[in-house]
Amino acid sequence: MMRAHLTSVSVGAACITAAAWAAVAFTPGAIAGPRITPAAASDDGEWTMPGKDYASTRYSGLSQITPANAAHLHPVWSFSTGVLGGHEGQPLVVHNTMYVVTPYPNTLYAFDLTQPDYPLAWKYRPAVSPNAVGVACCDAVNRGAFYADGKIVYNLLDGHTVAVDANTGKQLWETTIADVSNGETTPMAPFVVKDRVLVGASGGEFGIRGWVKGLDLQTGHLVWTGYNIGADSDLLVKPGQFKPFYDHAPNLGASTWPKNAWQTGGAPVWGWMSYDSTLDLVYYGTGNPAPYNPEQRAGDNKWTTSVMARRPEDGALVWAYQFTPHDSWDFDAAAEMVLVDLRIAGTMRKVLVHFDKNGFAYTIDRATGQVLVAQPFVEENWAKRIDLETGRPVVDSSKLTGASRGNVKNICPTLEGGKSPASPVAYSPRTHLFYVSTSNMCMDYQAVPAAHIRGTPYIGANSPYYAGPGGYMGAFEAWDASVGRKVWEIKERWPVWSGVVATAGDVVFYGTLDGWLRAADARTGKILWSFKVGSGVVGNPITYRGPDGKQYLAVYAGIGGDWFLLAGDVRSDDPADVRPPADFAKDLARHTSQGGMVWIFAL
Amino acid sequence: MTQTMIQRVARPAIVLALAAACRTKGGAAPTRSDAPAAIAYPSHIAAGGVAPRGATLTNPYAGDTAAVTAGAALFTAMNCDGCHGGGATGWVGPSLADGRWRYGGAAGEIFSSIYYGRRQGMPAFGGIMPAAGIWKVVTYLQSLEPPNDVPTESWK
Ligand code: HEC
Repeated sequence: MMRAHLTSVSVGAACITAAAWAAVAFTPGAIAGPRITPAAASDDGEWTMPGKDYASTRYSGLSQITPANAAHLHPVWSFSTGVLGGHEGQPLVVHNTMYVVTPYPNTLYAFDLTQPDYPLAWKYRPAVSPNAVGVACCDAVNRGAFYADGKIVYNLLDGHTVAVDANTGKQLWETTIADVSNGETTPMAPFVVKDRVLVGASGGEFGIRGWVKGLDLQTGHLVWTGYNIGADSDLLVKPGQFKPFYDHAPNLGASTWPKNAWQTGGAPVWGWMSYDSTLDLVYYGTGNPAPYNPEQRAGDNKWTTSVMARRPEDGALVWAYQFTPHDSWDFDAAAEMVLVDLRIAGTMRKVLVHFDKNGFAYTIDRATGQVLVAQPFVEENWAKRIDLETGRPVVDSSKLTGASRGNVKNICPTLEGGKSPASPVAYSPRTHLFYVSTSNMCMDYQAVPAAHIRGTPYIGANSPYYAGPGGYMGAFEAWDASVGRKVWEIKERWPVWSGVVATAGDVVFYGTLDGWLRAADARTGKILWSFKVGSGVVGNPITYRGPDGKQYLAVYAGIGGDWFLLAGDVRSDDPADVRPPADFAKDLARHTSQGGMVWIFAL
Repeated sequence: MTQTMIQRVARPAIVLALAAACRTKGGAAPTRSDAPAAIAYPSHIAAGGVAPRGATLTNPYAGDTAAVTAGAALFTAMNCDGCHGGGATGWVGPSLADGRWRYGGAAGEIFSSIYYGRRQGMPAFGGIMPAAGIWKVVTYLQSLEPPNDVPTESWK
């Protein structure tokens, strides 16, 4: 998963670590049960799923806020969630109600946007086990909910998925999906396609065996489980259906590992999903292999750090592609796969675009898994390039890590990634550009042997960070994925850890770790407006149309995730846990501390 | 991370004598000689609770420097560092090196935390670590020297 981090000592661990629905064609006879009336993802007044639409573009057709007037944005409302954990994820807005899921204890708030002061219509307080708090690798975060068929569906940190009536707040069903005692926790947002709820678990730092499950939307019953590692049958490889572009042998999910190492090999699922209704394929990325010491797992370690394409109904695996074979640097591929049509070398192609932790941005044919473009979007030095013939990185062997290699110096990017997978990009069909929050950091990496003890971290690396070339630690950039080229960037002092929203007004929004929400001109990268929201932004801004017809912007404040771990001094909630600042970000706590808030802005 | 952590480990502080005494904040029952006659303070329960069982356990390795070294090795071997950070300076689990304790810093209290686990995700190691090993880890944790000025973080 997640990025883990830690730090260790002499030995140690360190880890630190969706297309318009209207177009969805139901496969005849594939799913029993009532036909779902899906949220109208094409209605830009609403925000019904994490990525805005099935293509995961985070693009809104609303256009009232423009470069000419963005400077007049001002807060119109705010609400303390009462929770201090990292506020990743994003609110949903459906039928004039805003839904907010907090980090643990995963309270669900429903605000009535039709009334002055947006009072709560209801709140739902699930019984979540506190045990999960210490087992979640990187803070007790939650990445949001999904609206479908009158239900708000989301994951509780302790391995449960719940469906709540969007109107009444009554629980409709609850299903146990994961086992916290085995190191599995569940911060990801579920993804609903037709009558399936797709969920996965974190735990790449605990040596879980990663999977995706398909639940029945009406009942919550488990329909299928597809593992990411192990034998073909467990991966839901069906005869004649699995056609990866580059790798053809059977049982690669087991044969690319030392005997049985896949059983504790990681490949968690904690990021975002997307869906192409024409191809009937769901896409998601898998996390890191465990442990971080690569010498304990010779081989490619398929299908860790990979994109998987599956059929939603039965989970059948259709293709897979591995970004970082035999990952030596905790380069999870959990980041979103954005589905767009781009002109590449003169031809329109149906592609998915993915900004990997490994520092490369990939443009991939989403029907076949063929890599069309792969270029670094941040400073990186572990690979010379990606070979488009083989799909494999040409690795600089001096950057390979392992317990026998000692402390390998100056590897870029870090375990945090060139971009945090938890901080999704946005794509504007008006500019044909992707907008990306990035980190500019490098690390030393000392691997050590790790022992697997069920329910405890399975890591084996110590990896201190520092600012990358130029001395700044992050940037917000615009990227042309048809050629693999940066168009502009805004440098930031700290890594940029928020998601992004792009709008038809040609304004893009993102937030900074020290708590500034910014509007930038989508074409030029000029900062148009900034507002200090009180705590660092690690969530994803959204925009929607209010009942009054006006365009609103909403975002969470609430630093956390890896950042409450890395910069332990941004905490001040526990007198019995006092930590020094991170040595590479000594000043961050001067500018922010924890605290969850929901903010709404308007012109 | 953290040079700080690494440094701390590089000088495995061995301040055993101090350790037990200094870290027990919040662990002792209140005693007041000037209590009104009608109120016997020692019979009252301290807010926050004091675990009687843990409090009465005694560490067989108290003052044993070899146990500090062995405990430090166990802290890594049992993956404690994966949750508490290298040098126990804190990660998803709290810092165990700041001289401050959620559940008490007396030897018996630390033993109980490790043996029985704690509700916010501290696994119960009692099932997989022999008591002797847990006591060595306790000895190691009590040997860690808290930073000079814990309360104040200044950028001046
Ligand atoms: C899976 C992560 C995890 C592992 C592994 C782990 N801990 Fe913990 N530990 C925690 C968390 C989280 C807490 C805080 C629990 C709470 O507040 O309820 C904690 C609490 C503690 C406490 C109590 C601290 C206090 O302030 O009172 C001690 C002592 C402790 N752990 C020692 C250890 C030792 C020793 C090991 C290895 C044998 C270990 N832990 C392994 C997560 C972990």
